[in-house]
Amino acid sequence: MQKFDQLIQEAQARIAASGSLVALDEVRVHYLGKKGVLTEQLKALGALPASERPAAGQQTNQAKHAVTAMLDARRRELEAQTLSAQLTAATVDVTLPGRGQEPGGLHPVTQILERVQALFASLGFGVEEGPEIEDEFHNFDALNFKPGHPARAEMDTFYLKDWPLLLRTHTSPVQVRALLKHGAPLRIIAPGRTFRHDYDVTHTPMFHQVEGLLVDKEVSMAHLRGVLTDFLQRFFERDDLRLRFRPSYFPFVEPGAEVDINCIFCDGAGCRVCKHSGWLEVLGCGLVHPNVLDACRVDPRRYSGWAFGVGIERLGMLRYGISDIRMNFENDLRFLRQFR
Amino acid sequence: MRISEQWLREFVDPPASTRDLAERLTSAGIEVTAISEGLPALDHVLVGEVRNVEPHPQADRLRVCTVFVGKGKSLQIVCGAANVNTGMRVAVILPGGHLPDGSEIHTTQLRGVKSQGMLCSARELGLGDDDAGLLALPAEAKVGHLLIRELGGADKVLEIEITPNRGDCLSALGVARELAALYGQKLRLPDCSPVKPGIKDRLTARIEALAACPVFAGRIIRGLRADAVTPMWLRERLRRAGLRSLHPVVDVTQYVMLELGQPLHAYDLKRLSGGIQVRMARSGESLKLLDGNKHTLEPDILVIADHKHVLGVAGIMGGSDSSVQPGTADIYLEAAFFSPDAISGRQRKLGLQTEAAYRFERGVDPTGQTRALERATRLLQEIAGGQAGPITKVAATPRVRARLRLRQAKLVQSLGMLIPGKAVSGILAGLGFMPSRHGHNWQVSAPAHRFDIEREEDLVEEVGRIFGYDKIPAIPYPAGQRMLPLPEERLPVSRLRDTLVARGYQEVITYSFVDAQLQVRLTGSPGIALANPISAEMNAMRQSLWPGLIQTLRYNLNRQQQRVRIFECGMRFIQQHTEIKQENVIAGLIFGLQDPLQWGLPQRNNDFADLRGDVEALLGAGGHTKRVDAVADTHPALHPSQAAKLMLGGMNIGWLGALHPAVARELDLNGPVFMFELSLEPLRQKRITEAAPITAFPALSRDLALVVEETIPAGRILDLTREAGHPLVSEVRIFDIYRGKGIDSGRKSVALSLILQDSSRTLTDEAADATMRKVVQRLQDELGATIRD
Repeated sequence: MQKFDQLIQEAQARIAASGSLVALDEVRVHYLGKKGVLTEQLKALGALPASERPAAGQQTNQAKHAVTAMLDARRRELEAQTLSAQLTAATVDVTLPGRGQEPGGLHPVTQILERVQALFASLGFGVEEGPEIEDEFHNFDALNFKPGHPARAEMDTFYLKDWPLLLRTHTSPVQVRALLKHGAPLRIIAPGRTFRHDYDVTHTPMFHQVEGLLVDKEVSMAHLRGVLTDFLQRFFERDDLRLRFRPSYFPFVEPGAEVDINCIFCDGAGCRVCKHSGWLEVLGCGLVHPNVLDACRVDPRRYSGWAFGVGIERLGMLRYGISDIRMNFENDLRFLRQFR
Repeated sequence: MRISEQWLREFVDPPASTRDLAERLTSAGIEVTAISEGLPALDHVLVGEVRNVEPHPQADRLRVCTVFVGKGKSLQIVCGAANVNTGMRVAVILPGGHLPDGSEIHTTQLRGVKSQGMLCSARELGLGDDDAGLLALPAEAKVGHLLIRELGGADKVLEIEITPNRGDCLSALGVARELAALYGQKLRLPDCSPVKPGIKDRLTARIEALAACPVFAGRIIRGLRADAVTPMWLRERLRRAGLRSLHPVVDVTQYVMLELGQPLHAYDLKRLSGGIQVRMARSGESLKLLDGNKHTLEPDILVIADHKHVLGVAGIMGGSDSSVQPGTADIYLEAAFFSPDAISGRQRKLGLQTEAAYRFERGVDPTGQTRALERATRLLQEIAGGQAGPITKVAATPRVRARLRLRQAKLVQSLGMLIPGKAVSGILAGLGFMPSRHGHNWQVSAPAHRFDIEREEDLVEEVGRIFGYDKIPAIPYPAGQRMLPLPEERLPVSRLRDTLVARGYQEVITYSFVDAQLQVRLTGSPGIALANPISAEMNAMRQSLWPGLIQTLRYNLNRQQQRVRIFECGMRFIQQHTEIKQENVIAGLIFGLQDPLQWGLPQRNNDFADLRGDVEALLGAGGHTKRVDAVADTHPALHPSQAAKLMLGGMNIGWLGALHPAVARELDLNGPVFMFELSLEPLRQKRITEAAPITAFPALSRDLALVVEETIPAGRILDLTREAGHPLVSEVRIFDIYRGKGIDSGRKSVALSLILQDSSRTLTDEAADATMRKVVQRLQDELGATIRD
């Protein structure tokens, strides 16, 4: 009895002193290996008288179990220590910037166009496109611009040198093309580049517009106002945005209107951006002129429609505070990177 | 157009503030874009009378004046103006007062003589350009009064933008008419009653082109005083409208045009021979106009002529020979109605821009000629005396304007709101449409001064805009009944854009017109020219997006950017025989380090393969990677040994390569530039996937290293391997290319990794080896490859 207590105590000390799995294994072999102390003891049991054998066997087995348990515990401990050391050794600097390419970005005009398209898609407006080099018919005649009329001259049109063609001054010719192609009823938007002979802080010879067109039975200015209110409130994410309709003149609509929103910079109180008027001009619109429907082979007695045209750079100015329209096309990377 | 508020209020004076007037006008479509002060700030400026003028003891050019400023007070003021005279009424700034430019006036010593203030010229006061001498105030100006009071007191100037359909609003009368309708008030016209002729002289007028000139009226006025000057109040009205005072007669014609909208022209009577003719110009006829230039006329230009000469271009500008001069005593005053069609476009043709043509193009009231003549005669006689002859007027039969119908139902349907019938009648009457109501409909006639009323829709707008567009409610329009089509076989462009953005490209938008010379360099031809380019750098339509991208690169390199990765989507314009092909393309450019400067990757400049990787990513968006071949070829913009065209089923869909070093040098680019341009439509085409089952059998992989001549393209090796390895070889990749030790010069080692797969059974090593032997054989036979162990 005493002999085993002593043995277990001794084993406990040796196990605790083992600093590595290798050393621990040596201890295991010492007690439990083929020629280990306890193994020898078990082998020696057969030599004992039968009467002593059960008690001695029980004691030996108990000692063996105790040593095994201690060995296991110590091994788990050592394994945990090893793993922990390995983990520590593999420390990375998580604050170090990642490897590889940095993403680029989209031009603000594209970002606005995509936003406008998504908003109108949710009302069922598909996207139509048209050529940028246009003819007089689609850019002017079919849109009720009379030849020689000042409205036509005021468009500051670019003409081609050796062709009877021009650069479209607005996206409105897409109205004509779409109506001739699809007929009524129709609802579309037409985004794209437009060109006018003008260059200063607020004008570039190229800019972008989105044209909207809805032709159906019994369409009114009130519907136009409804859709534009919805659009501008969603675009600027301001449900309190108010619209002002002012009469204006575009040959292809009658009645025609310009739409202002209450200034988003000063909430209508008056500031530099709105020239202290409290209002910001954002787009032009109106009911499609019967002459345009006629030119597009749509019967103006059966159908009516509305159309609007909005300047994308103008929206960019208001949404992102781009004060000089020319920056859009200088493509200074320091400017463009702000829109990532 | 700029117009004085005081002037407007002489016609109609509603109890409303300036701001209110402006808002009502704007809400009715007469947009007031700005309101400014009619007069500069002229505090401490009084009317003074020069009582005495003495020479300055120390300076020849200066005079010492005694100026009476009322209430028994006189000031001693030193003055350098040549026109200072005893008895003259002048503008005096007292010490402590300010000039409009902000400078303060003090009592000072000028060359040893005390000066208690300053006598001012018109320019110094901000009242005009004239700085030749002191502003001479009229004799009736009250000495001691504030100058502002003598100038009619505070006034505002409205800046108004008139749309091209509203020529009738290009005058004080026109804007006042709108105000009268908006505020429901009566219009007061200035005195335009007939002047009793004092002489019988008249000039006959003959109109040869009645359609172009339906009304021509005029009268002779004789005996104008040579010393007449334009009174202060009239000059002020002109100044506030942005016009300069030139000559009393011219000033009056300008004034009446601004007031009533009717352009007038005055001729020096003694320069005319015989009667007036209104006719089309004869081919080759020429004439010196008031702008000082000689203009050659064409037969589509309407002219005013006498029996000998062309006198002027009708409705646009008078000739200089027949114009009034200083001292002209006898004039012929013309007021005509030229039809817009006869005027429009002509001033641009002549390179002119005049107030008269601006109004005639947009439509002048065809009934207003006599009224304007009478008004001008009255003003002229007030200012310069003289005797008027009778008015002679030649006119075509006036066009009878059709009555138009307006239906209440149409109003409701178009505007989406109900306007009470009484209000509709009131609005129509207020605008001078003389409505007669029949139940729910109206019959109206547009007044003569309106050129924009042709159909019912125009009437809807009239009623709507006066009633107030802002009362139109916002009614949601129902969303479309069907969802929008979403063709899966056509990729959205955004997928391509996003692909490049993820690979480090910044999108740019460059002008669609470029420098033709640069375009020749990059594409071999100048491209389609613009007739009226904005500048020489933007004179041709782009045939490629590369000119714009390269200029963008240069712009940014000049602004300290060293690494540039940019792309653009847009149209290019290429002449194809008798047509212009307008094609959407996507193009990109990379320059400088391949990766942003970082610790984890070696620094290296980008190269052809980097660009090719980006192009493959674009091709991959629609699943085209394997069906597109890059073929070495030459392009004017590209390095002859680093250029490839991309072929998709026999069609060239684009180019990629390095910018030609010679071009790069010309453009001061000190490093290689890699660029691609691809047609957008083929990239967007996408096949809808038909999914195949995934095989359960394992694949085998084999590597192969072969040595070939340097000139053998990798694409050829890959193609042959796939072909020879069919059907078991499912994938081939090049994983190493080696030149140098162990390889003969002029040759290269290419290492391939192959995946072999049999979809119907487990692939045996024997079968794989057999395929590999076929592959090797083929590469040896066709490419002279040797196998490396």
